Amino acid sequence: MNVEREGDYITLSMGPHHPATHGVLRLEVTTDGEVIRACKPDIGYLHRSIEKIGECVEWYQFVPYTDRVDYVCSMNSNHAWVCAVESLLSSSDETRLAIPERAEYIRILFAELNRISSHMVGLGSMTMDMGAFTPFLHALSQREFINDIFEKTCGARLTYNYMCVGGLVRDLHAGAEDEIRAMLKGLEKAMIDFNRLISSNNIFKARLAGVAAVSPEDAISYGLVGPNLRGSGVDFDLRRDKPYGIYERFRFDVPVGKTYAGADGRPGDCYDRYVVRLLEVLESIRICRQALDQMPPASGVEDDPVGGWCAAKAAQKALRKPPVGEVYFRCENPRGETGYHIVSDGTKFPYRVKIRTGSFTAMSIFEKLVPGLMVADLVALIGSFDIVLPEVDR
Amino acid sequence: MALSFDAIFAKVQVRFPSTSAGSAPNGARWVEVPPPDALEVATFLKTDPDLAFDSLCCLSGIDLLKYPAAEKDGPTSDDLVCAYDLHSLEHRHEVRMKVRVPRAHPETPSVESVWGVAGYFEREIFDLLGVEFQGHHDLRRILTPQDWVGHPLRKDYVYPKAYGGVELKREGQTFESGPYK
Amino acid sequence: MTISVGPVSDSIASWLSANGLPVSIAEILAVLLVCVLPVLGIVFPIAGVAQYFERKIAASMQRRKGPMVGATGIVDLVADMLLFWLPRWKRRAVARRVERLPVLGALLRQVRQWGLGSMAADGVKMFLKEDMVPGGADRFLFRGSTYLALTGAFLAFAVFPFSQWYHMGDPPVAALYLGAVTGLVAVSVLEAGWSSNNKWSYFGGIRAVAMIVSYETPIALAIATVCMWSGTMSLQGIIAAQYRPGWFSFSGWNLFQSPLLALLAGVYYIAALAECNRAPFDLSEGESELVGGFHTEYSGLRWGLFFIAEYSDMLLVGGIFATLFLGGFQSPIGEQWIVSLPPFAEAVVHTLIAVAKAVASVGFMMWIRWTLPRFRIDQVMKLAWTKLVPLALFCLFGLALTQLVAAQRVGVEQVVYGRYLSAPVVRMDFFSWVASWVVVGGAIAVVVWMAKSSAPIQSPEMRRLLGKEPA
Repeated sequence: MNVEREGDYITLSMGPHHPATHGVLRLEVTTDGEVIRACKPDIGYLHRSIEKIGECVEWYQFVPYTDRVDYVCSMNSNHAWVCAVESLLSSSDETRLAIPERAEYIRILFAELNRISSHMVGLGSMTMDMGAFTPFLHALSQREFINDIFEKTCGARLTYNYMCVGGLVRDLHAGAEDEIRAMLKGLEKAMIDFNRLISSNNIFKARLAGVAAVSPEDAISYGLVGPNLRGSGVDFDLRRDKPYGIYERFRFDVPVGKTYAGADGRPGDCYDRYVVRLLEVLESIRICRQALDQMPPASGVEDDPVGGWCAAKAAQKALRKPPVGEVYFRCENPRGETGYHIVSDGTKFPYRVKIRTGSFTAMSIFEKLVPGLMVADLVALIGSFDIVLPEVDR
Repeated sequence: MALSFDAIFAKVQVRFPSTSAGSAPNGARWVEVPPPDALEVATFLKTDPDLAFDSLCCLSGIDLLKYPAAEKDGPTSDDLVCAYDLHSLEHRHEVRMKVRVPRAHPETPSVESVWGVAGYFEREIFDLLGVEFQGHHDLRRILTPQDWVGHPLRKDYVYPKAYGGVELKREGQTFESGPYK
Repeated sequence: MTISVGPVSDSIASWLSANGLPVSIAEILAVLLVCVLPVLGIVFPIAGVAQYFERKIAASMQRRKGPMVGATGIVDLVADMLLFWLPRWKRRAVARRVERLPVLGALLRQVRQWGLGSMAADGVKMFLKEDMVPGGADRFLFRGSTYLALTGAFLAFAVFPFSQWYHMGDPPVAALYLGAVTGLVAVSVLEAGWSSNNKWSYFGGIRAVAMIVSYETPIALAIATVCMWSGTMSLQGIIAAQYRPGWFSFSGWNLFQSPLLALLAGVYYIAALAECNRAPFDLSEGESELVGGFHTEYSGLRWGLFFIAEYSDMLLVGGIFATLFLGGFQSPIGEQWIVSLPPFAEAVVHTLIAVAKAVASVGFMMWIRWTLPRFRIDQVMKLAWTKLVPLALFCLFGLALTQLVAAQRVGVEQVVYGRYLSAPVVRMDFFSWVASWVVVGGAIAVVVWMAKSSAPIQSPEMRRLLGKEPA
């Protein structure tokens, strides 16, 4: 067997094909036995030049591309893009759009449902990486119910292309609200089962407690966002602190990491991030229920300001000549803050679309955080950051 | 306490007279910083207790080659711009800082020592736009392969005809149509 | 008889030589038959079927159906192939008619309902996959490691007590022999990991060796303690020591004799899981760190041999667990009357019971595997050296003390299996038994209660997540 001798270290390529890296991520890991001495991420295997494509397609045509920026939480990515464009258009009176109220509620309802399904994937994958295969399938079977609802409404199970500038592509399907309510009830029970199965398991806690603790200062400096930032103890959630859409009408708590693992844990370790995601699922269920209660009934008229689903004509007119300028709009995706920095030159094509994603900045902390961990801990770390490669590479 | 843009800019300009305020027709405003001062302004923005911009939300690169002039028939430029979107978790205010570098020698100091996340953002801008950040510990391509030629997000980017011995066009396409024009 | 492995091979050899074969050939044939039968007749089929059951158990725990090869109808397929000239509805009618046949039809219907074709599919897959040796691999070691793994498993089966009349050997130091021979698994895993010319396999092999060697100690201590309690190192002797006449023969099982033995059973079972690279200790093979760990580069039948070695190991340690703590091949009820059967019938019943207990152990191992996450290597070693070894030592000394204080040695003549015993066995009278359970069990309960009450209180968020508080 060939072993490159660099001192006594082994260089492993946790290569693009790897069951634990959740996508085509390559980590060049230099280990001293089991303990890692250096880690250099090598990304770009999934780079699809979405930002360059944004300069070639029209404003409303870019929505399916935002689906693919993070296909696990497409609704949230859609939401971020359409909110960013609507914010650009709202700077001038001719182009300001009045989104129907029902469309706003449905946007938030579906964004939160997609947050739940994205967390199911993230939590399930994390437990699977730890070796417990059963909770992964329990979580995914719950996600299937959400996918079914989305499929009935949008026609797709994963990349929905459901929101458009001005509202939604179509209204909810008939009977959607009862279905969602029933599904949420089942989901609550399933989450309790899931937690009894794995979250309080001593082996699971031992794998995650105290592993890769990120201090709040490091988290802020290295651009961790979303559950990763809150897991380190920083109480910041864009939905509450910089509300977009109609999030200020909803009451929900923001879970923050508090060394949930007890004596073995450290603040900001993998278990904290894991528990923060679990609690976020419960909070999303709350928001969904409030949205269903407060939503105005459908009026059947597309651009009815209360019960319609899209201000289509106004949006078409506005997108032909949007204001010149730029906007940076931030939304709270399941993976953290998704920011769209869009520069408009007044034409129907965007001039520059920059997508800032939570997973990309989460990768930036790897070189600092990983040395000293064991190889098995690295797997736990990647799972706890919930890194999704399409977001990293765009 | 959240400060308005004017208050923030006033504090910055007092310390660094070379900065100026820029604005766009849609109401966006930013602090324009010349490249040599970028690192000091960034450090000041982060460490000053009233500003406390501890979070670099987004660092995007913009190529101004095809951007329309500010006034009708006014001058256009071909500079490259680095736009830093900053946010303060303590005071909950935001500001945008822009650094314009000329296309001929696109160098600007790296702010990696101020915000750690800038390491990756700057590598991305170097890869896709060609701006060189001085003082970066490991400035190399991040999204494209290490032997890629050219900076894809530039407006005058020429698509390569082949890479790694493979021709990059589809069936029935010629090198004179589509993106190769 | 010069070549013999016990009374069964003796009787077969004498029957063969009585019917005309030369004596030495008869003896050799008899020995081969007796030795090959457990391997081919019991271990291989169970290993083959175990994969199907593992997948079905996993599927039922994960609320899905699992492998359903054959669910689209093997009969339909065969009818389509054989009767290709008939129209489709006629072929289907023939298929339905075949499925209504008495025995064959019932079997085929079960194949359709349970997807039993996956057993065949797994076997065919193993044979048909390309058998390759990676470039740069050490060819001799790469091939040899599979054979070594199988050797380790089957060498241990040589002393496995299927019945007092049917076994392949009963050395007086069988327990010692077992501990020695199961260590071959470690060598084979290391060999596989090293010879694959693959850094990830190397990692898997190294981890496996560290783990298996560490867990040899609790296993050896557990086996030594049971030997001390039973007064003999022979496996047949250990089983004989657990014999009780009457209806409730399970009262003799070592598991129920003393809470320390129950603790020791737990220690042995956990260490046995680690020996098999199984369940929470599968960090050398199934880690999401790499697809297969030490057996990544093995495909086709070579991998199949590793897989059979693993399941045989599981069966073996399950069987040894049953031998040491669950009375081995003895039935839980009414062993006295099974012993009074003619030897052949007794051997059959005993073998079935021994295999059933081993299979139940294997099923429990599968249940554990699909429930628990896996350990990290340093946690595995910590568990072995700082928790299991002290616990096993504590049990050893506790049981020695119990023997001195509470128990008496009972003479050989009170036990039916007399011919296999070389030393008297330990018995406790009823009051001593109750006292040992009360005193020792109470002490253990107090320790556990103290540990639990000093554990930190669950945070309100965890209580909310676990459903103990309303959301």
